[in-house]
Parts: sequence; structure tokens; C-alpha cells
Amino acid sequence: MFKSLIKNSRAKSPWIMHFDCGSCNGCDIEVLACLTPLYDVERFGVVNVGNPKHADVLLVTGTVNHRNKKVLKNLYDQMPEPKAVIAIGACGATGGVFRDAYNVVGGVDKVIPVDVYVPGCPAKPEAIIDGVVEGLKKFQQKVEQAG
Amino acid sequence: MKYVILAFIGLVVAPLAGGLLAGIDRRITARLQSRQGPPIRQALYDVLKLFGKEGLALNKWQIICAWVYLIAAALACTLFFLQSDLLLIFFVQAVGAVFLVMGAMAGRSPYSQVGAQRELIQVLTYEPLLVLVFVCMYLAAGSFNISDILAVESPLLAQLPLAYIVLTYILTIKLRKSPFDFSTSHHGHQELVKGVLTEYSGPYLALTEVAHWYETVLLLGVCALFWTTNWLWMAVLLMATYFLELVIDNTMARMTWRWMLKYVWGIGLAMSVVNLIWLYAG
Amino acid sequence: MSNLLSILILLPVLSALACYIVRSGAVRRLVVTVTGGVLSVASVALLLRGSFEAWSPGTLFGLSWDLIITVLDFALLGVILYYGFKLKSLFIQIFTLAQIVLLSVFEFIIVEHVAVPAFRADNLSLIMVLIVSIIGSLICIFGLPYMNRHEKHLNLQKTKQPEFFFYLVIFLGAMNGLVLANNILWLYFFFEVTSLCSFRLIGHDGTKVAVANATRALWMNSFGGLGFVVGMMLAYNAVETLSIAALLTAGPQGALALTGVALICFAGFVKAAQVPFQSWLLGAMVAPTPVSALLHSSTMVKAGVYIVLRLAPAYQGTLLSDTIAICGAFTFVACAALAIGQSNGKKILAYSTISNLGLIVACAGLNTPLAITAAIMLIIFHAVSKSLLFLCVGTIEQEIGSRDIEDMRGLYERMPRTSFLAITGVLTMLLPPFGVLLGKWMAIEAAAGSIWVIIMLALGSALTVVYWARWGGGMMGSRKPGQPSESLPLLINLPLMLLCIGAVGLSAATPAIYANLIQPMLSSAALAVNTTTGSLGAFAVYGLYIALGLGLFVAFRAGRRAPVLRKVGPYMGGANLGEDGSFNGPMNQPVAFGAGNLYLSELFGEQKLTMWVNIAGAALLVLMIGGGL
Repeated sequence: MFKSLIKNSRAKSPWIMHFDCGSCNGCDIEVLACLTPLYDVERFGVVNVGNPKHADVLLVTGTVNHRNKKVLKNLYDQMPEPKAVIAIGACGATGGVFRDAYNVVGGVDKVIPVDVYVPGCPAKPEAIIDGVVEGLKKFQQKVEQAG
Repeated sequence: MKYVILAFIGLVVAPLAGGLLAGIDRRITARLQSRQGPPIRQALYDVLKLFGKEGLALNKWQIICAWVYLIAAALACTLFFLQSDLLLIFFVQAVGAVFLVMGAMAGRSPYSQVGAQRELIQVLTYEPLLVLVFVCMYLAAGSFNISDILAVESPLLAQLPLAYIVLTYILTIKLRKSPFDFSTSHHGHQELVKGVLTEYSGPYLALTEVAHWYETVLLLGVCALFWTTNWLWMAVLLMATYFLELVIDNTMARMTWRWMLKYVWGIGLAMSVVNLIWLYAG
Repeated sequence: MSNLLSILILLPVLSALACYIVRSGAVRRLVVTVTGGVLSVASVALLLRGSFEAWSPGTLFGLSWDLIITVLDFALLGVILYYGFKLKSLFIQIFTLAQIVLLSVFEFIIVEHVAVPAFRADNLSLIMVLIVSIIGSLICIFGLPYMNRHEKHLNLQKTKQPEFFFYLVIFLGAMNGLVLANNILWLYFFFEVTSLCSFRLIGHDGTKVAVANATRALWMNSFGGLGFVVGMMLAYNAVETLSIAALLTAGPQGALALTGVALICFAGFVKAAQVPFQSWLLGAMVAPTPVSALLHSSTMVKAGVYIVLRLAPAYQGTLLSDTIAICGAFTFVACAALAIGQSNGKKILAYSTISNLGLIVACAGLNTPLAITAAIMLIIFHAVSKSLLFLCVGTIEQEIGSRDIEDMRGLYERMPRTSFLAITGVLTMLLPPFGVLLGKWMAIEAAAGSIWVIIMLALGSALTVVYWARWGGGMMGSRKPGQPSESLPLLINLPLMLLCIGAVGLSAATPAIYANLIQPMLSSAALAVNTTTGSLGAFAVYGLYIALGLGLFVAFRAGRRAPVLRKVGPYMGGANLGEDGSFNGPMNQPVAFGAGNLYLSELFGEQKLTMWVNIAGAALLVLMIGGGL
């Protein structure tokens, strides 16, 4: 019973951590907009935490560059399983318009596995919320596969 | 039999009530910010989820400390419902507070170290005042025993109005509400990234959360002792107090520990002393 | 009876002489260990014999012991005076000369030498004998390997250990004599012996600082001794007997006699390093660790509070009693505050000791049966826990070369065993269900009726939490699996282990200790005690002990059973570099991270507080002595 309670609770309490990986701040503003009274993602139990050790979902905005790829990897490693990663915006998905710049590695998936991509420049808050819900389904699946 | 039921309430019902209260807290807070807010059971979901996560800790001391924090808080709460001695309950809950801090100091993390230092200052701030509030209750009721305090004929609040105000200060510190949320930075993304709780993760974070529920119930229980003659008034008192806490939390900015130590000690000691002298004179 | 007493008092003297004369290390080792064992056994045997009303030794070669003590007394003062001239310390010279003059007047003019029983033992004395003989012996045994290492560190050509152990061991005898004495002149003699021994031991290393601090300790204690002599004369003037028992049964006897009692208490205050006299005890930290442990936990300072506590019936219900309580409570809170500003481990221990002694004195001043119980409980448990902590710090210091608590961060990695013992020591000082807290609980409960004392106790006990919790937490740390534990010599390991077991185990025996030892000597029962369910008042000792013990067991099991943790460094904004405690800084250079303790020095700094504490302490002392009038 305890196990099923835990399983049911997972999707109801996604704590997100937002990492700005070199974004132009466009997507960041949209991510934070989700927390405002207008969108109020806390309705779904979403809490914006600042610490990978408390987080379930990692939201990454912006392109990955050579300087911050280690940081991104570290943060991902410090999150306890099960976890999901959501790449937000064109830059997070592929590197966007900065793709060919000399210092850019590319999208988030070049460094860590990504579960959901939320496109847009910037991504709309509704899309981000959708992405989080999608991400939760994914990690539910992952947990079930792992048994 | 009565004691078994009371112990059961203290051990099992209290944390559930504390969890629901945490949910209500978040809901009302959301409303105060003109948001809809999470469901009432949200805090329970959070903790259940945390129990299902991978355990991460810097070392085994931390795990031990998280467990001791929970056990001490549960024991203190149970002793409260068993109507034991107030000072004894106070010392048992202090075990939990000390172990929480020690666990945070066990790792090399600067964030949790700073949080631990600040938590210690919070402990330093509220402990003497809590003892003095208990002494006020002792003078009014003639005993530190809760069973004797319950037997008092008239509400203690009438004799101890200032002590009750001091108790609300303690409550604000202990519930880690603004302006006294230095050690855990109420919102996780602030400068201390949860301070004393930074390095507790997954199930160990869940343990500290449940322990915090126990502490909340314990402190509200102490508040309830101020009006034991009438259930209705006791409920009104508790609800009014908690609502006041929420309003304070949502209207205050966080201050510094220096300010807290000087301000709360100044006001708190002055009020307790006045109330004590009043009791001695009366 | 006579055999036991002579073992407890004279055997240390003989062993000390043996240590001094036979300068071989092996003999010293044997003598000290055997003496320790015999003393411990004898103290237990004395306890089993129970309290006795009066006992006097006969004569030695036809000379009465009273006469011998008198001669030795003057010889002792002569020696102290000699050191006063040698060190060119005006204070020592004045105070000692004054003592000699007054004592001569007292001995040869005032006192009519009627036979007074020299020794008497009630349960308080017996408890003190146990503490001194067992803990003191363990410390002396710990000192054997410790001093070898200590001298190796100092590269001494010629060993100074014979002198060291001479004073260390003789100290035990003097303390046993002090707590058993009934004749106030004998008490005074033993009191002076402890002053001289501590002076020699503090100055043992012979460095400039050591000599200066030893000199300060001696002048302060001579000052106390002077107070003792004057107090003794005033008290004799009123009750006309040298017997302490008679003085106590007489109760408070008018203003002049009460001033005398106040002055004797003042001597106890100095010995117990109450403010404003705390500086000698802090200075005593330069001495090798066994000295600090012996002076600060089980003996010297306990002699001070013993005297105050012993005289409690003589000032019961007077203004003096209230002022003593306030003085003690003030020391409690002031020294706890000063301890917060310290990072030097030994200094924290010293301040905490003074603070706890203040609490004991406050209890003596409150003077209700509950408060007296609290005082005795605190004496017992503080002695065990504090000596454990001192010995741990000494061991740690020899290993890591520092006594700063910042350097002890994560010590568990290097010294798992010692740091575990030290953490246990910290917890026994701080938390329920351990005895020190039990004492504190009783003290607060007893003080609930007096407003100023209770405020100071409340503040002090919160301040205490801060400095202990951060020290204990700081010592915790990570260990790689399979890393070997540190190796310690048997004679260091054994006392540490025994003290740790004592600190934890004795707490479970508190109901029995209370029912069998403390309750019988109280005028009325302080607490409803129930030894079968193990409750003292509302403090269900067994229940708590079992519940918290089970909790700890569960916690440790959870810690041990936890799956092998994935290696994750602390959160550093993701910029960690491996596990070596550094992060990726500017120019891709590693920057070490760390955090120090908040010492709140702007509020609790030593420079900032000491002067005000001393002024307030001195004012309170004047008030106390004046309060007798």
C-alpha cells in the first residue's frame, strides 16, 4: 500500500529546478511566469527548488557552452533518481541560432539525456507546463520499467 | 487505555494533522498571494514522493542525524499528548533541534554549514524565551505538568497575555516563517538554497519534513494550553494564531540574525519579565 | 575504617614520594597504575561502609595529628611564601604573609584546642571521594603515555615526569582529605595543598606563559585562602567550635558568623574560578592535558563548589543564600556567553566548566532539597563527561597538532574512535537522558520560584547548546570504507573507553543514585522517586533512556543499513571539482571551499565581554559578602 501511495504521489509533486545554461533570459522569464498567479503551477504541486538534491525535474534553458557543460553535468548527477530533464526553447533543444558559434557545444542533449523538448523562442508558459506534465509521464514510465 | 489512545494520537495522528496543516498553510498563503494554490493534501504527497526517491547524503552521520531528529520530535510530541512535564518535553525536542544542526554540519557543504550556524542562532533566540514561557505557566498553574495545567479552572491566557505574545514570536521562529526564516530560506531558490536542509535529500529530507510536522503540532499544542477551559475558544485561539503567523509570513521581509537576536531577546525578555513580575505580585 | 582512610589519603602521598624518588619510568608506570586501582577499590569500599559521624586518627610517634597538621600548615605557607619571593609576586607575598599572621593569631591565641573529630563522611563526601579516586586515577593513568609523548614533542633532555607525577598523585590524596575533613583547620590545610599542587602543575612546562599563568593561579588562590582564614576566624568566633558538623547543625548564626561563612564561600568561589576569578582557570590551559582534566573536571574546581555546597545548611534561608544563587547563575550565563566566542577547544571546555560550576553554585544558593539534588547530580555527571572531553581533546591535539575546533572539522575521517568518543562526550553534556541535563532540568525546576536566577539559567542553557552543538557537529565527517581506524596506546584508550561508558551508563543509574545516595541526606524528599519504573519526578529516566536509546539504535542501524551511497559532493552550484572540496573558480582554477563557525564575536567576544563580566561579577561578590551582614 505504501508503495502505491508513493507511486501515486510522484506525479503529484514534481519539484523543478531551473538551470539557465546560457539563455538570453527570454525563456527564463517564461519559466518564472509559470509561478505567477496567472499560471500558478503550484496548483499541480510544482515547487521551484534551488538545489538539485531536492529536485525531480531539471528545466534547462539556453545553449550549452564549454564553460558550463561541466556544471550542467554536475547538477544532473546530484539529482536523486528518478529524475527527468526538460530542455526549453530552441536553444535548449538544438543550440538555436547560436548553434554554430565557436564556444557553443549545442543542445542540452549533448551533455545529459533529455526526456522532453519544449520548442519556442521563447517557449510559452503553457507549453512549459505541458512539457512538465509530459516529463512526469516519462519518469513514471522509467520507474515502472526499473520495477 | 486512555494513555494508549493519547500516545497513538501523539505518535500517528499528530504528524498527519501536521501534514494537513502544512497543506492548508500553503493553500492560504496562495490565496493571500491571489493564487489558487495546491490541494490540501499536497504536503503529504511531497513527503510520500520523497520517500520513494534515491537516498543521497554526504555521509552516514547525516542519515543518523535525520533519524534522530524525527524520533526526538515524535517522542516530544507523544510526551506532550501523554501530559508529561513541559520542561522534559522541551529538552526532548531540543535533542531533535541539535541533531538537525549536527547533521547539517557533518558534511563539508558551505550552504548547509551556514544554514546550521543560523539555525543555532535561531535556537539560541527562542530557547530561553520558551523556558520563560513555561516558567510563567508554572507560576500560573503551580506545576510544569500538563495534566495539572489542564486542571486550571480559568484560561491561562487571562493571566499570561504577554507570555502568549512571546510564544507567537517563538512560533514564528520555530515554523521558520519570515522574518525569521534564515536557516532554511523559506523558498528553495533563495540564497541559501534551503540552508540547513541543503544536503538532506530524498527520504532523509522526508524525515526532516515529518519531524517538522511533529514540532508544529507540539508548538500549537503549547498554544492550546493557554485556553483549555473551552474547546471552541481553544480552536478560535489556535486558528487566529496560525492565521496571524501566515499574515506575518506574507507581509514581512527576511531580516538578519543580528537583528533577530537583539530584537526578539529584547522584546521577549522584557515581556516575559513583566509577566513574571505580575505573576509574583499577584 | 582507619585503613580505608589512610589508603585514600596517605597512599597517594607515599606513591607520590615513590614516583619522585625512584626516577625509573617502569616503576612510575607500575606505581601510578596500582595506586589508581587501589584508590578506586578503596573508595568503593568506603562507600559500601556508608557514612560515618566522626573519626579521628590517633597519634603518630606520640605526636597528635592535629599538631602535625598545624606544623605542616605553616610549612606549606612558608613554601608558598618562598615561591612568592622567587617569582617576585607582591600579591602572593602579601596574601601569604597575611595568612601566616592571622593563622598564628588564630592557632595560638584564639582557638582553645579541644579535640574535634578530624574526619566525617556523609554521602556528599562519599560521592566526592568516588569521583576523585576513580576519575582522578583514570586521568593519572592516561597521563603516563601522554606525558611520554608530550616530552617527545618538547624534545626534553632530562625527563621532568617524576615531579609531574609527584604533584599529580599527591593531589588525589589532598582532595580525598579535603572532602572528608570535619575539622575546619584540616580542611584549610588540604585546601592549601591543592593550591600549591595546581600552581606547580600549571607551571610544569616552565615556559614564560606557563610560569605567568601559574603565578596568577597562585595569587588568586592565596587570596581565596586569605578569605578562608578570615572566614574561619569569624565563624569560630560565633559558634566556638572547629567542627564543621557543629557549624552546620547550628544553622545561620547572626551577621558576623554569616559573613564568616560568606568568606569561606568566597574562597570556594575562587577555587571554582567563578567570575571575576575565571582567568586563572583559563590560564591553566597551558598545562599538559592531564592537568587540565584533573584540575577542571574531577578535582580542584570541584573542591570549590564542594565547600559552598557543604556549607549550604549554614546559610539556609538567609539573604546570603539568595546572593550566592545569583552569583552562580551569573557565572553560568556569563561564561556560557564567553564560550560562544571561542574557537580554542580547551578554552571552550574551560569556560563550559566554569559555567557549569556556576550552575552548581546557583543550586547550592537556591538551597531547596531539589536544588541540592541537582547540584550533586551535576557534580557527578559533569566530572565524568568533562574529563572524557578533556582527555579526548588532549589525544586529538597530540595527533593533529592543534586544539582549534576549526581544525577538528571532519575529524571523524582521521580519528574515528577518538572523535566518536568526543561526540558522545558532547552529547552527554547536552542532551537528555544523560545526567548533566537531568541536573539542569532539576535546577530549572528548582529555580522557577526566583525570577532573576531563572532568567539567567534560561539564557545560559540556550547559550550552552550553541557551543556544544557546533563542536559536536563539526567533528562528524565522511570516511572511505575500509580505512583503518587510528591506533592509540592501551593506557590512553582504556581510560577514554571507561569514561565514555561511565558517562553513558551512569545516566541510567540516576534513580538508584538518587534513592540510595542523595535522598538520605536531604531534609525532605525532593522528588517522588520510583526506582522500579525509574522516574525522578516527571523525568522518566528509564523510559526516556530506553526510548531515546532505541531511537539511536534505529538511527545507527538505518545509517549502517543504508545502501552504499552514490558518491555525490556537496551542492556547490554545480561547480564542484571532484570530491576534494574545491570548485571551479575564475580562469578554470580550483578554489577550495569551506565554511567556518559563526563565533558572534561582536556580541560574545572575549575582549568585548570580559571587562563587563568581571565588573559585574566583582559587584555581585561584594554584594554577596555584604549580604551576610
